[in-house]
Amino acid sequence: MIKVLFFGPVADRVEMREMDIDYSDGMTLHDVTHKVGMLYPGALSIVSFIAVNQEQVHDKQTALKDNDEIAFMAKFSGG
Amino acid sequence: MSEPVRIQIEDFSQDAEIAALKASSKRMGGIATFLGCARDFSEGRDVSQISFEAYGSMALAEMRKLREEAISKFDLLDARIVHRVTTVQAGDNIVFIAAGAAHRAAAFDACRWMIDELKQRVPIWKKEITPQGESWVTPHP
Repeated sequence: MIKVLFFGPVADRVEMREMDIDYSDGMTLHDVTHKVGMLYPGALSIVSFIAVNQEQVHDKQTALKDNDEIAFMAKFSGG
Repeated sequence: MSEPVRIQIEDFSQDAEIAALKASSKRMGGIATFLGCARDFSEGRDVSQISFEAYGSMALAEMRKLREEAISKFDLLDARIVHRVTTVQAGDNIVFIAAGAAHRAAAFDACRWMIDELKQRVPIWKKEITPQGESWVTPHP
């Protein structure tokens, strides 16, 4: 299972904070992004950062493992 | 002594943070601090409250990295970063950063660098609550 997390403005658009996606062999970050984009196109448009297991990832071809945690995040505005 | 990097709901004491920083070394000749607080006005609107949300585990890890990088980059003797994640009222404290160095220039530079980097790198979001409604803040440089 892949755990997908949403925060702040992205969570508001998705109207949830967390969802699970079934893991399959050979899955990449692109597969998850595509699925989220299909389900919530309005949310993906404000995503500026994606993290896999709390590390920012830029390569959509990044291979995923079962139980990975992926976060879709808008631009940060802390401080 | 409290951890030098924290995310917390409750307010912090600048005096306690500075005392903890000073306790780490007597070679410290300069301490620069930044205190970020909640404004009651933004983008032409009154703001009554600001609500913060964080990706807690990643935010804390990134803030710890940021502190380590600042210590190394500016040859600091110590540094502290505290960010509140809760709903604050206008005037309340939000974030505190302190940089301690042998001399003032490094302390000033490091303090500025840490708050600038925090805004770019740490997954925290703020939502302004106004009489007209709520809206997530779009970051500005």
